[in-house]
Amino acid sequence: MKILIFACKWCGLIGADGAGKKRIQLPTQFRVIPVECAALVEPDAVIRAFASGMTGVAVLGCHLGGCRFNHANHAAIKRLELLKTLLDATGIGGKRLLISFGTAHEDHQYAEVVKTFFDELEAMPSTAAWIS
Amino acid sequence: MSGIAVFLCRCFGEVKRVIDLDSLQKEAERHNDVVSSAVCESLCLADDIEKTASRIGESGADKVVIGGCSHLARGGAAVDALVERGIKRSAIGLVDLREACAWIHKDDPERATEKAWDLISMEIAGLHHRRESDDVTVSVCPEAMIVGAGPAGLSAARTLAQMGFKVHLVERGSNPGGMLNLISHVYPSDEKASEKMKTFVDEVDKNSLINFYPKAKINSITGFAGNFNVQVSSSGGEQRLRAGAVILASGARVWLPHGLYRYGKLTNVITQMELERQFIKGPREIKTAVFIQCVGARNHERPYCATMCCPSSLKNAVRIKEENPDARVFILHRDIMTPGSVLEAYYRNALAKGVQFIRFEETNPPEMLGDEHVESVEVFDSISRMKRTLECDLVVLSTPLIPNDDNVKLAHMLGLQVDRYGFFSEIYPLHPLETRMDGVFICGSARWPVSSDNAIVQGEGAAAKAAALLGSKAFSALSLSRVPGEKFGHAAVNAEKCTGCGNCVAVCPFAACRLQKMGRKSIGRVNKLRCKACGNCVSVCPNGTVQLPEQDYRAVAAMIKQAFGGDSAL
Repeated sequence: MKILIFACKWCGLIGADGAGKKRIQLPTQFRVIPVECAALVEPDAVIRAFASGMTGVAVLGCHLGGCRFNHANHAAIKRLELLKTLLDATGIGGKRLLISFGTAHEDHQYAEVVKTFFDELEAMPSTAAWIS
Repeated sequence: MSGIAVFLCRCFGEVKRVIDLDSLQKEAERHNDVVSSAVCESLCLADDIEKTASRIGESGADKVVIGGCSHLARGGAAVDALVERGIKRSAIGLVDLREACAWIHKDDPERATEKAWDLISMEIAGLHHRRESDDVTVSVCPEAMIVGAGPAGLSAARTLAQMGFKVHLVERGSNPGGMLNLISHVYPSDEKASEKMKTFVDEVDKNSLINFYPKAKINSITGFAGNFNVQVSSSGGEQRLRAGAVILASGARVWLPHGLYRYGKLTNVITQMELERQFIKGPREIKTAVFIQCVGARNHERPYCATMCCPSSLKNAVRIKEENPDARVFILHRDIMTPGSVLEAYYRNALAKGVQFIRFEETNPPEMLGDEHVESVEVFDSISRMKRTLECDLVVLSTPLIPNDDNVKLAHMLGLQVDRYGFFSEIYPLHPLETRMDGVFICGSARWPVSSDNAIVQGEGAAAKAAALLGSKAFSALSLSRVPGEKFGHAAVNAEKCTGCGNCVAVCPFAACRLQKMGRKSIGRVNKLRCKACGNCVSVCPNGTVQLPEQDYRAVAAMIKQAFGGDSAL
C-alpha cells in the first residue's frame, strides 16, 4: 500500500497537524506533499504518482467558497474530476484518486479521511500487476 | 562548496521516543548530497538555532533540511530564525517529523523511522529544484479612486482628502449623496438626510484635492496595488486616471417586489422608498398605515436580513404617528431586528407611541383585500393564533437591498470575489474592509447592506486602510500577501516556451495573467503584484511554461520519486 497525499497548506495540512497533536494513530504507508493550494496540484503530478507505483492519491483542499485564493479551488475540483474520468478510462480507476475539499481541515476529519481511503483501497484489487 | 545540511530535532525526546534519529543521521551521512548532519536537542531554543546556523556556515552547505515539528508548531519559527541569520527561505526545507510521523505512528517505530527517512529524502530531492521568485519593487501613486459618492464614498473621500491625498470620486449619478438623495430622514438620529450629507458634500465642493466625476462609467481597471490605471467616461468625456488604491463604495439597490402583495396592481401598495419620496415632498395625512416587513427577504432566494428595513419602518411609523396622533399604524413583521442599544430604544419608542406590532409566519403571509385600492389587510397573528382584518388606506412594503448589477463586472476587472448574492467579499473574519486584491478596499452597502451611519464609519475605516498603502513610498511584490504569513511566491512564465494558448488567463482568480503581443506571437505574462501564488496557471499550462519557482513541477516529481524509498518504477 502506497498512498500519496497532496495537502493544501490551509486545510489539509492544518488537519494533519491537528491529528498529530491529538495523537490519532494512523497507518504509516502514506506520504504528504504540502502545497500552497489544491490548485497547484497538476494533473500530470497525479498521473506521475500512479506511474511510480502509488496505490492511491489524495488531494485535500479547502471548502468550495472558502479558498483564500478566490475561486482557485473551484477550478481545481473541475480539473481533478475530469482527471478521474480519465483514470477510469485508462483502467487505473477514478476511485484511486480521492478529491476531498473541506473535509480534512480538522484533526478527526483528517484522520477519518485517511483511514477510510486506506480501507477503500484495501478492498480494491492489487496494483502489483501494473508494475513489473 | 554546495550541499545540504540535515538537522534533526530530538524535541526533548518527543521525536526520539518513536523515531530512531541516530540511524536517520547515519542514513543522511550516506546520502550523496548531504555534507553535514546533526541531531539537536531542540531547535526551538535560540541556543540551538545559533549553533545550527554556525554549523551550516562551517560545513559550507548552501541548503538546509530541518526535521522537527510542523510548520504550525515551532517549525515555522525555526525557519524564520534561520532566514534572519542570512539563509534564503527557498533553501530551507522543513520536514514535519513530530506531528506527521512520530505522534501518529507511536505503535510502529520501525516503519515510522522508515517513513521519516522517506520524508527527509523527499525534501532533499525537492530542495534541488526549489528557487526563489524574483522580487520587484514598485513605487506608489499617492492618489485614490473612490467608486460611488454615497455616504460611504463621501466619508472615505473626506477622510483621505483631509490626510492630504488626492481623491478621484467617481459617481454614476449626477449628484453626490447616493441613496440619501432618495430618502427624507435618516434613522436613528432622525436628521434630515440632506442635512446629514451637507458637511460631506460641502467638502467635495471646496476641497481642491477631491475631483468629482459625475455621470461616470468605469470602462476598465488595470494595474495593481499602488498603480491602478482606470478608464472612466463621464460628462467630461473619456479620461484616464491613475490611482494607488481603489475604494469600492458603489452601494446597493432596492429590490422591487413585483408580484408580491399585489404590488403595482393596487394603487396604495407602495415600497418604503416611495413613502420616503412622498415624505420629501411634505407632510402627508395618513389615517391607517400597514407596514409589511421582510418582503422578498429572509426567504429561500434571499436568506439574508438586509438590516435597514426594520429601523426604516420604525422611523416612518413613528413619523406618521407624530404627524397625526390619531393615526393607526401596524407593523406586520416576522421578527423585529433592532440590535444594539440605540435601535432597541428606537423600537421601544415606537411601542410607546402606540405603533402596533403583529407577527406573522413566512408560510402564512398577509393578504391584500380590495379591487383597485387596498381596503383591508388580512393577517394571521402567529402569537395569538387569530386571524385579524386591518382596515387601512396605505400599505408599505419593506424590501431588502440587493447588489448592483455591475458588481460582477467590477469584480472581474479587479480580480475580486463576490459572495453568493453578489456583494463584494471581504477577507473574513479579520479584515472586514479589505479584499483579496491588494490595494482594493470595500465599504458601505457594496459589501453588505448597512445604515448610513455605518456606511460613514466604514468609509472612514476603508480610507484609513487605503492611507496606510498610499502613504508608503514603495513596496515589493513579495511583501504583498492577503493571506496570513509570508507570500509563497509568484508564478513566472518562460517566454521562449510559451505558446500563447491563454489557459492561464482563463483560470486566474486574480486577473493576474494576460496575453501580450510579442512580434508575431502572443505570450502569457503574470503580474507579480496581482499574483497570489495559488498555482492554477501552473496546473493548466500544457507545456509547463508557467511555474512557481518555489514549488516547480520538477520538485514535485522528485518528491514523488522518493516518496517510498526511491524504489519506484520511474
